[in-house]
Amino acid sequence: MYRLGQYVYFESPVHRLDPRVKLIAVIALSIIILHVNLIGLTTASAIALAISLLARLSLGSVLKTLRPVLPFFCCLFLLYIFFTPGRPLPPFPIGPMQITYEGLNLGILQVWKFLLLVAAASILTMTATQSEITMGLERLLRPIRIAGISSHDVAMLLSLALRFMPTLLDEMNCVSQAQLARGANFNPRHLSGKIRAIRYLAVPLAINIFRRCDELVDAMEARGYQQGHRTYLRELVLSRSDYCLIAAIIIISIAVVVG
Amino acid sequence: MIRVHNLTYAYEKGDSPVLKDLNLHIAEGEYIALIGPNGCGKTTLIRHLNALLIPSAGEVLVDELSTRNSKSLLEIRRRVGMAFQNADNQIVGMSVEEDVAFGPGNLGLPPIEVRRRVDEALTRVSLIGLRSRPPHTLSGGQKQLLALAGLLAMEPKIIVLDEPTASLDPESKKKVLTLLRKLNSQGLGIIHVTHSMDEAALADRVLVMDQGELIADGSPGDILSRVEWLKTLSLAPPQITELMWQLQQGGKDVSTCIFSVEDAVEEITALLERLRSSSNFCFPRKADGHV
Repeated sequence: MYRLGQYVYFESPVHRLDPRVKLIAVIALSIIILHVNLIGLTTASAIALAISLLARLSLGSVLKTLRPVLPFFCCLFLLYIFFTPGRPLPPFPIGPMQITYEGLNLGILQVWKFLLLVAAASILTMTATQSEITMGLERLLRPIRIAGISSHDVAMLLSLALRFMPTLLDEMNCVSQAQLARGANFNPRHLSGKIRAIRYLAVPLAINIFRRCDELVDAMEARGYQQGHRTYLRELVLSRSDYCLIAAIIIISIAVVVG
Repeated sequence: MIRVHNLTYAYEKGDSPVLKDLNLHIAEGEYIALIGPNGCGKTTLIRHLNALLIPSAGEVLVDELSTRNSKSLLEIRRRVGMAFQNADNQIVGMSVEEDVAFGPGNLGLPPIEVRRRVDEALTRVSLIGLRSRPPHTLSGGQKQLLALAGLLAMEPKIIVLDEPTASLDPESKKKVLTLLRKLNSQGLGIIHVTHSMDEAALADRVLVMDQGELIADGSPGDILSRVEWLKTLSLAPPQITELMWQLQQGGKDVSTCIFSVEDAVEEITALLERLRSSSNFCFPRKADGHV
């Protein structure tokens, strides 16, 4: 079961914040980091750190969420330092290999940016429940209704995906156990074996998913689901401080992007 | 409350119909068990009751609202709640209370009213303590109760349950059945599709289907005591009823209208009394016999 970035409840101002504010903050950050230099990035990281402290999240628990993406970013870092043209860093070049000042600079900066973004997203999921995030998205997406897409449907899709994730994981374990019980070998050393293993899991799993979908559609219809307006257990209400924060975030983003 | 009028239904045009010219009237607050062998059309029938299926011919009326009229769809589905066998595939919410809120939310009720209904429904099925749990952490029995709560929150007049106890352990099964009885005594109509004749015996009225037709309709006493006939439909009568039937076949003067162990004990004791007084036959006493 995936436990990283899991919601942790604390009584904190960050937790109490409307999920829309947090969503906007993360979206703003993803735009801002494309436009900042080292100083901007340090400031943004300091702010992120301050927020996580304010949310009473331990630094370790936030950093731990970066671990799954580390191999990917290591590769990215290597690509940057080896393939950016510029002044070579001594003792390079060694043969065809060369690391440049520019490459090192760019590599650190880019990897830092992405890690910060992942950390910010983790802080979001650690301080807002899945349903809060879904609700927040639903409200933020309401304007797209003009384009003929219902934000309720989008929210429904998202919440169903999240709801069935653990169920499907259970089912995958179940299928793989059933295959193992009949002598399948899911720990092969060769790539072809791995692919075969995926095929043995994927086909029954996909069939099961379709069967579930049929039943789910019936059940949802039977409970009165139809396109169009619906209401929720909780309605999100933005307080004055929420509005102020959103305004501040937007102003800062515009300032950074334009300036 | 529900009138089924000459209902005929075929999945594809030209196929032989799954339901043939079926007529049925269900009054408010009835507790009905629907039984029949596999593939007899039980599921197809109940799917007509809340307009999941529309008749090929004939008509289904819920309080005079025709299921053919798409305008009354939501109201029909509010009045006729339906739960399916696999509770897991009916739960759509990320937490227990959000799942219960799904139905009222579809009705477009204001959040305060949604909250009131959710709390009430969860209290009625005694899941209120688990309100914020994610659904996948619930046991099978709890999931079934949650599915029921989801229906109750719509404040239906009748609920239709397709084998709600099929995959439950005996303890949860008992819980669900007790709850159904209680809900019925509070005025809620229930249609319970089941393969278990023991469960059918709890109903006030039993409907038997075979090959797309309603072939019997009566009290559990009428229907379930017809042991031989049930067997020809490959339905197993309650074991205790079958015991009485075997005794009757052996020439003993007992009724087969018996569905519980308590009733059976009474009937057999009465038989023994009669035998004792009418003959000199002596029964071994506990003290001197091997038990």
